[in-house]
Amino acid sequence: MSRLFDNSVIEEIDREKNRWHKQVYQPAEGVEKVFETLSGIPVEPLYTPADTAGMDYLNDLGFPGEEPYVRGVHPTMYRGRTWTLRQLAGFGPPEETNMRYKFLLKEGATGINGVFDYPTLRGFDSTDPFARADAGRGGVAIDTIEDMRILFDGISIDKISSSLVTCQPICNITVQSMYFANAQMRNVPLDKLTGTSQNDFLMETVITVAPEILPPKFSFKLSCDAIEYCTKHVPRWNPISFAGYNYREAGCSAAQEVAFVIANATACSEELIRRGLDVDSFAPRLSFFLSAHSDFFEEIAKYRAARRIWFRIMKERFGAKDPRSLRLRFHVQTAGVALTAQQPLNNISRAAYHALSAVLGGAQSVHIDGYDEALCTPTELSSLTALRTNQILQLETRVTHTIDPLGGSYFVETLTNKVEEETLRLLDEIDGMGGIVKAGETGWIHKEISNSAYEYQQAIESGKMPIVGVNCYQMEEKELPMELFEVPETLQIQEQKLKKIRNERNGAQVQDALDAVAQCCEKDGNLMEVIVEAVKTRATQGEISGALRSSYGTWEPPLF
Amino acid sequence: MSKGRKKRILIAKPGLDGHDRGVKVVARALRNAGMEVIYAGLHQTPLQIVNAAIDEDVDAIGLSILSGAHNTIFPKIIALLKDRGASDILVFGGGTIPKKDLEKLKSLGIGEIFTTGTDTHAIIDYLDRTLER
Repeated sequence: MSRLFDNSVIEEIDREKNRWHKQVYQPAEGVEKVFETLSGIPVEPLYTPADTAGMDYLNDLGFPGEEPYVRGVHPTMYRGRTWTLRQLAGFGPPEETNMRYKFLLKEGATGINGVFDYPTLRGFDSTDPFARADAGRGGVAIDTIEDMRILFDGISIDKISSSLVTCQPICNITVQSMYFANAQMRNVPLDKLTGTSQNDFLMETVITVAPEILPPKFSFKLSCDAIEYCTKHVPRWNPISFAGYNYREAGCSAAQEVAFVIANATACSEELIRRGLDVDSFAPRLSFFLSAHSDFFEEIAKYRAARRIWFRIMKERFGAKDPRSLRLRFHVQTAGVALTAQQPLNNISRAAYHALSAVLGGAQSVHIDGYDEALCTPTELSSLTALRTNQILQLETRVTHTIDPLGGSYFVETLTNKVEEETLRLLDEIDGMGGIVKAGETGWIHKEISNSAYEYQQAIESGKMPIVGVNCYQMEEKELPMELFEVPETLQIQEQKLKKIRNERNGAQVQDALDAVAQCCEKDGNLMEVIVEAVKTRATQGEISGALRSSYGTWEPPLF
Repeated sequence: MSKGRKKRILIAKPGLDGHDRGVKVVARALRNAGMEVIYAGLHQTPLQIVNAAIDEDVDAIGLSILSGAHNTIFPKIIALLKDRGASDILVFGGGTIPKKDLEKLKSLGIGEIFTTGTDTHAIIDYLDRTLER
């Protein structure tokens, strides 16, 4: 029975639609192509009120800023405050990245989004034999608290919010501690700090696998330690950003992306409650990071479905009462995997469509990729163009004027329900396995993602999925009409600073700090409490991570 | 390479960068094309890769590099193979590698480099062609 429409009207619409489909809608040559979303959900030629007739408007959609938050987490959405322009930046030594941050802020970015180089993400100093070739690549190099001081020098960390893309908990536990310790040394109280750190154990266990990673349960523990610490001491900080974006980049479908972030957030919540925290003390600060991929409507449906699922889990499973615990807030990055190295300027249009879907889906902050990201770290010009694309979307298109403009679209509502259905099925499956940590330990997630990634590639190669410039409309490339970014010298600069610091610092103090880390591992204490103090002795990130690896051992993930 | 033997390929991803979607897809495509693929997994220093290639008696090493460290890592692997008298092992690669670096890397002895957007069949055809000779 429909609560939205008169049943007899629905029956009539359905009859008429069938008539239209049989008699009027005539696909060319009588044979229809297969139409489906990027994740494989079948798509009908037309949707009508009959498709959404079973919905209960008040319970399934509601109003912005109210349960179940499908139409938006804030009452005014972009009419009140537009999304944060948070452009990712980081490369080379911190001296260089500090200048890029200042450049982006001067040009109107409203928050910092800092990415760290591969050695930092993995817990190695720039000078480690494992790390030397990668120093300054993929992000900024951070070895000690001195680098953190340089990175944020001259930037008002008491006013500007900083997103630290720390990815793996082993990186986060030290780098975030350095950020907090640096704030203390600048006399900025921890309760004044606003920002987000990524801190997602699946990044270490499944998504970006590298040598010497921690076993999943310890990586998960470090992630929960940081959440617990922030709940107690840094109340305005989002201590985790479940990195669905990266899961998607590694190969996930839309529903897998949502299912894995929500399963992860559920596991963290269970663990923090087990540690004695009240759900409403930490849940308001759990945040999400999602992708904006190429299937425009599926992405919008994905964001809307994610909000409904999270709301119901928080309310029904965890009994959360604070409305802020029930709202799924998310940052979006446009899909890097959808960018092409061929005809790179086309990526400007691609990323603009991606960002539009994020905004129509109600994102809280948006990063638009640079057009050159399939080729190199973004240049100043490509970063600026991406920022301007974001500003054009915000100021010129007027998509901000009404809330959830696609709410009520028969198609978008149906797709929202379908993505929700598939996500719930996956969540059930993960629950049946004993939760997300188990699903990571056994390699189930690795396999799911690997299969999806392979299917995606097959779809490109068979031509089933057209990619302009790659499998259609290819051109013989002449010289690219663009400069490529060169990473500035990093290793030498980091090596000199490390040498100086090792000479100057108090060796006994450093050793005591590292011993304290090892002892804390042993007695299963909260490591962030100890590491915030350890970094002040100028112990290096590699030394602290080394202490963690010695205590917890390393893990060989299953490979598919 | 002796006729009739399956091609043996070591696939590796050197360095600390974890962007392994591409390398896994390539490994699976080569396997589906009937090759024996040994995925070096987490043994990712140039020395570990060269040792694994020799131990496993492979015909070729395929390296994926998206971090930008290609100008450091490729030459190191070529030099290590030479030191060990294993220069007969073909080295090819792929990843985010700018055009301007391709010629230099090939002159060092890298057989072929497949950049972003390459069809996996191009890699299979290349190995079929090159290793049959």
